[in-house]
Amino acid sequence: MKNYIKFLSLSFISLVLFSCDDEINDLEPFTEGNPETFFNSEASFQNGVDGVYSQLFNYYASTTEYNAEAGYQTIPDILADNVILATTGRRSNEVYYDWQYVPNTGGAISLYWSEAYEAVNAANLIIGQINNLPEGDVKDNILGQALAARAFAHFDLVRIYAKIPTQSEDANSSLGVVYVKVEDGDTGDPYAEPARETVESNYAEIISDLERAAELIGASNGEGRLDRDAVYAILSRVYLYNGDYQNVIDAANEVSEPIATAEELPGVYTDATNTGVIVEWSVNTSSESTFSNIGVAYSQTTGETVRSEYVADYEFINSVDTSDVRHDVLTYVGVNSGNQYNAVKKFLGEEGQNNGLVDVKVLRAAEVVLNKSEAQYRLGMETEALETLNELRDKRLDSYEGGEAGEELLNTILSQRRIELAFEGHRFFDIKRMGDAIVRSNNGDILDGSGTPPQELTLPAGNFRFQFPIPQAEINANSNIEQNPGY
Amino acid sequence: MKHKLHAILTLLLAFVVQFTFAQEKTVTGTVTDDQGLPLPGVNVIVQGTNNGVQTDFDGKYDISVAAGRKLVFSYVGFATQTVTVGASNVIDIALDVDAAALDEVLVVGYGATSRELSTSAVSTVSSEEIETFVPSTSVDNILQGKAAGVQVTAANGRPGQTAFVQIRGIGSVNAGSTPLYVVDGTPVDQSFINNLNPSDIQSFSVLKDAATVSKYGSRGANGVVVITTKQGRSGEARIVFRSSLGSGSKIDDLNFEMMDAAQKLEYERQLAELGVTDAQSLPGFTANPDQLELLRSYDTDWQQELLRNSYIQSNSLSISGGDEKLSYFLSLGYDKNSGIIDRIDGFERISTRLNTTYQAKDWLEIGANISLARSTTDLPRDRNNVQNPFVAMYSYNPYEPLYSRDAQGDIVREDDGSPVFNPTTQGFPIARALQTEPEDNRNFLILGSLHADIQLSDKFSNRFTVGATSNRYNRTTRSIAGGVLNSIVGNADFPGSQTDNYELDFQYNVNNLFTYADSFDDVHNLSASFLLEYNENIYTDLFASSRGFPSPNIPYQEVAAEATSAGSEEERNILFSQGLFVDYNFDSKYILSGSIRRDGSSRFGPDNKYGYFYSGSAAWNIANEDFMEGSVFGDLKLRASYGTAGNQNIGDFNFLNLLQFNTYNGSTTAIPIGVGNPNIQWESQAILDIGVEYSIFNNRISGVVDYFKKSSQDLLLNRPISQTVGDENNSILSNIGEIQNSGVEVSLNVNVIRNANITWTVGGNAAFLDNEVKELVNGEDIINGTTILREGEEINTFYLPRYAGVNPANGQPLFLDSDGNLTSEYSDSYQTIIDGKSPQADFEGGFFTSIKYKGFGLRGDFVFKKGNYVLNYQKSDGVAISNVNQNLYVEAFNYWKEPGDQNVLPSPLYQANADQTTTRFLESGDYMRLRNLTIDYNIPSGFAERMGIDTFRIFATGQNLLTFTNFTGDPEIGIGSEETIAPEDEGFVAGEFSLYSYPQTKSYTVGFEIGF
Repeated sequence: MKNYIKFLSLSFISLVLFSCDDEINDLEPFTEGNPETFFNSEASFQNGVDGVYSQLFNYYASTTEYNAEAGYQTIPDILADNVILATTGRRSNEVYYDWQYVPNTGGAISLYWSEAYEAVNAANLIIGQINNLPEGDVKDNILGQALAARAFAHFDLVRIYAKIPTQSEDANSSLGVVYVKVEDGDTGDPYAEPARETVESNYAEIISDLERAAELIGASNGEGRLDRDAVYAILSRVYLYNGDYQNVIDAANEVSEPIATAEELPGVYTDATNTGVIVEWSVNTSSESTFSNIGVAYSQTTGETVRSEYVADYEFINSVDTSDVRHDVLTYVGVNSGNQYNAVKKFLGEEGQNNGLVDVKVLRAAEVVLNKSEAQYRLGMETEALETLNELRDKRLDSYEGGEAGEELLNTILSQRRIELAFEGHRFFDIKRMGDAIVRSNNGDILDGSGTPPQELTLPAGNFRFQFPIPQAEINANSNIEQNPGY
Repeated sequence: MKHKLHAILTLLLAFVVQFTFAQEKTVTGTVTDDQGLPLPGVNVIVQGTNNGVQTDFDGKYDISVAAGRKLVFSYVGFATQTVTVGASNVIDIALDVDAAALDEVLVVGYGATSRELSTSAVSTVSSEEIETFVPSTSVDNILQGKAAGVQVTAANGRPGQTAFVQIRGIGSVNAGSTPLYVVDGTPVDQSFINNLNPSDIQSFSVLKDAATVSKYGSRGANGVVVITTKQGRSGEARIVFRSSLGSGSKIDDLNFEMMDAAQKLEYERQLAELGVTDAQSLPGFTANPDQLELLRSYDTDWQQELLRNSYIQSNSLSISGGDEKLSYFLSLGYDKNSGIIDRIDGFERISTRLNTTYQAKDWLEIGANISLARSTTDLPRDRNNVQNPFVAMYSYNPYEPLYSRDAQGDIVREDDGSPVFNPTTQGFPIARALQTEPEDNRNFLILGSLHADIQLSDKFSNRFTVGATSNRYNRTTRSIAGGVLNSIVGNADFPGSQTDNYELDFQYNVNNLFTYADSFDDVHNLSASFLLEYNENIYTDLFASSRGFPSPNIPYQEVAAEATSAGSEEERNILFSQGLFVDYNFDSKYILSGSIRRDGSSRFGPDNKYGYFYSGSAAWNIANEDFMEGSVFGDLKLRASYGTAGNQNIGDFNFLNLLQFNTYNGSTTAIPIGVGNPNIQWESQAILDIGVEYSIFNNRISGVVDYFKKSSQDLLLNRPISQTVGDENNSILSNIGEIQNSGVEVSLNVNVIRNANITWTVGGNAAFLDNEVKELVNGEDIINGTTILREGEEINTFYLPRYAGVNPANGQPLFLDSDGNLTSEYSDSYQTIIDGKSPQADFEGGFFTSIKYKGFGLRGDFVFKKGNYVLNYQKSDGVAISNVNQNLYVEAFNYWKEPGDQNVLPSPLYQANADQTTTRFLESGDYMRLRNLTIDYNIPSGFAERMGIDTFRIFATGQNLLTFTNFTGDPEIGIGSEETIAPEDEGFVAGEFSLYSYPQTKSYTVGFEIGF
């Protein structure tokens, strides 16, 4: 009897243990989804589209992944002549500021390449499954957003890693980036090693995606998302870079968002108003308070101390009339280590904050006007160009002489562009697309222009460093990718 | 379904065997030495089984055994005796003094054996050696230098930090090299090991070769550390109380010196005059003589200001005893180590344990081991900027004082009169931040196991064990309103922020071991065990963040103005295994063992869930042969083993494509996070081991020599893919690599003097290790920052541009380009494999010397390492020209000044090239360290008895008192900088670089132990 019980208990224990195979097979992920089955409703597709925007936010506002404040919103200013390195800062991004980057430099070079393609991949995932939605406006709007976001990510890639069509004679035939489209069967093989296409073909595909998106996308999708205005505004910029000046004008004319007034302008940068903001990557500063603080690339504030990384160039800020509303939108006096600086005011934070956490201003109505004015000038329509420019000036200056013509008009358009869009990630591209050199003033970093001047003053026109190197990791992994000349 | 049937059939077959139940009876007796004095702690085992007991303090034992079986009595330093159980219920034994080191009980996988009958390479560390190292807040640190082939590197010097333990080299790249820890039969995650009380541990057994690790199948590849805790012995209750107090400090900077205020100001002046623009805005150049005078007078020693001497306290109390049926061991421990960072609390642990066994029936023993431990620690940030005090103490300028000063040199005060901490040129006052950015961690670990031993007959037995570990981790991180970080990134409308994390790691393990043991013709001894095991890990976590706190004194989110985020997660993985282990020996001369195990894991796709692991081993006890009669050898054994083990320490669900959910502007996002690989499967290792164990001259000299070769195959490597695919990590995990480790391990123990009054023992162990990368994806290099995996080369060989000194003509730094040509240009593309230089040592180990004279003892333990290289970023920082705005090494003065200067640093005018990370900062990490020096005194037993106590011991211990090295800084590096790359991150290589992680400390401790 005793033995019988022992056997019984032993068999019981063993049988319990034998029934465990199913447990191994039945386990499924707890907090992740299945990309093959998830997208089946409007809500899930919108989650996917918002995912694409979040990837764009990642590389615009910088991410801690690459341990630098390397955002696409700020690096193009650091690369150019609007700002100067403050020697009392942490010297972040100095290798970019000094144009010393190489293929395995961390920060921006690895960030944009990796994150922008993640945005492209996320967009392609949606585009590829779009037929899970029934025909109609909802489907069109989702598809339009995904196409536009995909085009925009590719545009950000090609303008930084490759030449801009108007930059030089050979630009269109030079190396572009890889344009990944699910429709063309570019996705699905994780071991693919695609080669670079040309700049010309990249711009053609960007424009084609955007034009298709313009047909599909809704008129208003809410803050932080692309809509009809956004697509046309982006098109006006892309056409300008591509030298399609009539198209710039046509696209700009489709944009309905008004320019922020002088009274509204300061509030644009503290997120008090979205007037004039057409494309922005938004952050919910409450529930997403740990997201990237975009403004930290320029400065950090502790009590009375403003520890600036980069401050406004003395010559540049003094070219802005003090009566111009933008003078105080651009800078304020920051004190650190007993020195005063022309500290950057944009992206300091929301109203009353100085934590640097604020929406990314990607494209504003003012730029569309400037794009249009420049396009009109380049088509020889000087009167119209002046008229368009004055739309902006009227909202920025109490009075101005006006009436410029010829070369002077172009210079005014460009200087207004520099002032209006300073610190928002434009300056490097505006110099680059015209094939000019970057020439920094020889002033120091202190408020009055004294202090330490830049280590490197000039990046000559045509220098290879106008194109970022393709990250070394990509070169290592993809035998078909060609490095940019010079690296 | 098919495999399930198989398994059930196997089990049924086992039951068909006719059981015969012999009469069990309880045999008692006393074991004495040849002088008739009782011997406590003698192992009494029923031959050929795992059934055994130890004698109590009076040498008494009782064991239940069937007549006709043999009892084996063994004790270190005495000859083993074997007695057949006859009619008598009393067996008294007198053991002869003899060298018989090979007779100790070895705790091995799923049971124990005697060293004589073992076919396996196992290193053990006994409680005696463990006690020498108490207090050590994490038990894994104790293993350092103690066991051949076990490479232990302190991760850093933070109290409570676990160590890196590696057995026989690096066996994996991404799936971890940490061995499996098994405490009393239950697997325990390595990260919880620091919550074990070292005083509770009876022994460590480190399983190294296939004969033992194969039994652990898919988790055995990195070796297994089996920890056995203490059990009570029958007899009167024995109470031991131990208490010690000590203090530690940072080990002095080795081979370098920081500038003082006057030196630093002078250096700034020199560089500014040379034309280094960065220096021209610094006070050394801009200050007037009066200001300079004032700055020089501050002369701050930042190590002094930011560090302190730690306070180390350790108390433990244990009560143990038992009777014929019951045994118990009860303990309580308290450990505190404040750490060397001033202004924070450090590490504290309270632990308790109860181990009991009860003979419920003559055929049934049940037992429970339960331990509870709570530890608290504040984690200072381990990152490469001044938010880490160990960065701050080197980078803050010595002419900047702890508190801000005005132009007159008076301390600046807050409105409430408290002094303002100086943010310094670095813009961050760490001394204040340590107080305003507190991080508090609490761990509560429950470790328990229950077992039932059923003696079905004299031949069949069954052991059923259920074990569980549950660790609750709580963390509270705060940025206090008005504090350093809150004013930088906080929201002005919501002062103060706080995050609470709650993590629960629950693991349970159920196993059943059914054993058959038999002897034939007195010489054929056979045993076979069938194992079933189920293991499940369940991890859940929860976190919440809020902002806007009314007072820094209420660290609870209940009072916060606004909750900002919250989340919860769950993870699980399951392992289900069956195993068959067979041991055979012929008259204890020829021994054969074999094992096979099948593991199923939830971590692999449907087609790859199951893996088989096997081993075979043999040993020949030459000393037991007749022809060895009368030789100098007390023991001589040859053994060999070969087998396989696996590794599956990768994340869950790597075989699937997944979507990750997050938020964007407050809305849910769904983003593809990676490309899964449905084909991944186990990493596998094939291990060959050949060893010799010997003792000669009556055990005066004993030792072990092992040769091993370990091939790690199907390594899970990240195959880099084009980033245009848009994968989160830009890689796909694939079974593609092969690494081979081979080496020789030697350990030796010599009793130089052994007589009644004085004994002097010296011993040590060393491992000579060689490793090679055999196969990678398509033969392509895997470059991991500054190290590389390349076929045919050592694993993680450094990959750096080569520095070629300074051009004596102009002070320009020179490099070798990719083709080896001398050039003054620098490019990252000059990165080259630096042959033979890697973070792995070629040779490491430890040795000790121990002298006992009457009651006095003196013991010194050394550890050493040779042949490894360390990329010394700390030194690079300390002489970087671009760091002119922070403090530097005095060596920075030694820059090129005029043509012809040799053995100098580059001219500061070539800052950009000079500061590059090159072989210039790659240094040999060779060192030898006096890990431990202990002096103790045991009062004579006669005197103790008169005082009514059994034992009284006082001791004084010094740790890390001496270091011999040429490395600039401390060569004992595990983690370089945890926030740069943490041990759990991919690509982490222990000891690769130095970068301001918590430094090692030296300490002095005094204490006493009383037993009654």
